Amino acid sequence: MWIERAVEILVLGLRSLMRNKLRSFLTMLGMIFGVGSVITMLAVGAGARHEILARIQELGVRNLIVNSVKPPETTKPASEEGWFDVYGLTFEDADYVLATIPTVERLLRVNKVRKRVWHGSKRLECAVLGVEPGHLEMFRLEVDRGRPLTDTDAETEAKVCLVRRDFVRQLETIDDPIGMWLQIGGFPFQIVGVLAAEEFRSHTRKALAIDSRGQEVYVPYSTSMRTFGTVTAIERGGTRESSQVDLDQMIVSVDSAEAVFPTAQMLSALLECFHETRDYEIVVPLELLQQSEETQKVFNFVMILIASISLLVGGIGIANIMLATITERTKEIGVRRALGARRRDIMLQFLTETTVLAAVGGLFGSVIGLVGIQGIVRWTEWEAIVEPHYVLVSLLISCTVGVVFGVFPARRAALMDPIAALRYE
Amino acid sequence: MTVLALSGICKDYPTGEEVLRVLRDVDLSVEEGEFVGVIGASGSGKTTLMNILGCLDRPTRGTYHLDGRDVASLDDDRLAVVRSRSVGFVFQSFNLIPQLTVLENVEVPLFYDHVRRGERRGRCLELLESVGLAQRLGHYPPQLSGGESQRTAIARALVNRPALVLCDEPTGNLDRKSGEEVLALFHALHGAGRTIVMVTHNTEIARAIPRVVELRDGRVVRDSGRGAARRVQAEA
Repeated sequence: MWIERAVEILVLGLRSLMRNKLRSFLTMLGMIFGVGSVITMLAVGAGARHEILARIQELGVRNLIVNSVKPPETTKPASEEGWFDVYGLTFEDADYVLATIPTVERLLRVNKVRKRVWHGSKRLECAVLGVEPGHLEMFRLEVDRGRPLTDTDAETEAKVCLVRRDFVRQLETIDDPIGMWLQIGGFPFQIVGVLAAEEFRSHTRKALAIDSRGQEVYVPYSTSMRTFGTVTAIERGGTRESSQVDLDQMIVSVDSAEAVFPTAQMLSALLECFHETRDYEIVVPLELLQQSEETQKVFNFVMILIASISLLVGGIGIANIMLATITERTKEIGVRRALGARRRDIMLQFLTETTVLAAVGGLFGSVIGLVGIQGIVRWTEWEAIVEPHYVLVSLLISCTVGVVFGVFPARRAALMDPIAALRYE
Repeated sequence: MTVLALSGICKDYPTGEEVLRVLRDVDLSVEEGEFVGVIGASGSGKTTLMNILGCLDRPTRGTYHLDGRDVASLDDDRLAVVRSRSVGFVFQSFNLIPQLTVLENVEVPLFYDHVRRGERRGRCLELLESVGLAQRLGHYPPQLSGGESQRTAIARALVNRPALVLCDEPTGNLDRKSGEEVLALFHALHGAGRTIVMVTHNTEIARAIPRVVELRDGRVVRDSGRGAARRVQAEA
């Protein structure tokens, strides 16, 4: 019985909105933008959270990554041929870290050189990363085909390498890459495995010093040290720049997540003692998380503010139009009262109208929001996650706005004196 | 059976310092099936009496029994219930709700009396047919002529089978021909046993009404009485 009646009241509310479509639409605009921004906010917020978590997972919460960086002031005039740049982390740094910082669980060294890689007559410029056993697992670099680098490879300084799928594609060969021989910096290496194509986020790529073309070649650290050494020579436009870097990167694993920040401080203090210039950078994934959360908080605050303001303005717009409507329909209110409507019936009627107005506005707003999210995802690098319950949440919010801002006009209608209302022209 | 009984009804309106007494000690009783005309100059208290009879307003003093129930002291919500069940209104300016169809307009009193949709439809269709509007069910009030509008309003006033039908100048906004039709309809309803109270200042209309009550300065100054009613009926 009451369901039938509720449906009837709802239909009446909808009909009275349909009577004046333009006015209803204009009244809804505030709600549309408000709800649209709420949905966008939720989706972009969730996307950002997801992205941060993914970053952390890629880099590892308990890891500290120390990269050697070429200090800008050591750039020498180009005329000095054969200049040796010596900078970056040293072997001693790694030993000191292991010896003095008790929270360090593991330290992985990376030797990175740029080499020409030949396969038959095909030539590629590649970054060759010498990595210690454990490195691949730590960054979830899984082998798609073939086998990973093993401890035996490291012990025997085997000339084997892992390549990426993109690398294989660029070789332009139809042969099976497994077992294929490459010339890396003049030395023969055999491909033993192909890594799964992993999409790294630009941030992770930067932290791990790998390029976006997916051309890195992984070889055992010991092999790399023995074969290529620590000197990298780059020929650029006829000039030759050589640099010597002991350790291009070290990855420090800390024994617990709580110890990450103290360890980072100790690490920083220790490196400061031995380095006159800042020829290294420490990347703390956990810190990145915190920084992103800070910006996220500001962003959320601003978005919530915008959304609340739009909803407030939308609500005020609805209340305003309803007040005008009620004055316009005074006579109707009087007639309904004379025909037996109680105050609460009138109240319910107008509350229904505002709520329907707000809910329909919310529905449109959701659609606009969903479209807007697609636009944001397309034109920016942000991630956005849309979950079905966002629409529900926004509808709930808009209904609440409708009820809250409908109470005042509806009360005003309900409290009208029926005699005066009947006589109103 | 007595449909309405007023005794010692007073109505005061506070206007600044003074109190304006609109009705003074009005006594009136109407039996079932009577057709009563209330006449009087403007300012005589007709409208106020009408509002009290229709349970839109409460008297300052006095008792009012409608359909055997004391309604003088009911609160707002209870009065609304009484209106929806025991009173049917016909207004001078029709007062149809413009966004509802003819059928829906007639349904309004039943809606507030919580009558189910199916039953409501049936009762309304029957009534609209009896006032000759079966062809106009889906029309909206602005599409109707004055006579049709008022007949819709009459159907609306009758739909809840009220003990009392109250009309306020029902022919005031109509041309002569439709006015006559509407009056004929009221006389027919009277013939069918309805209790009708009609406020008018048209003496020509009043002459055709069996019992006439005249108000002046808030008092009943003339009541042709039930006897007169019988006489007229006898003459007819």
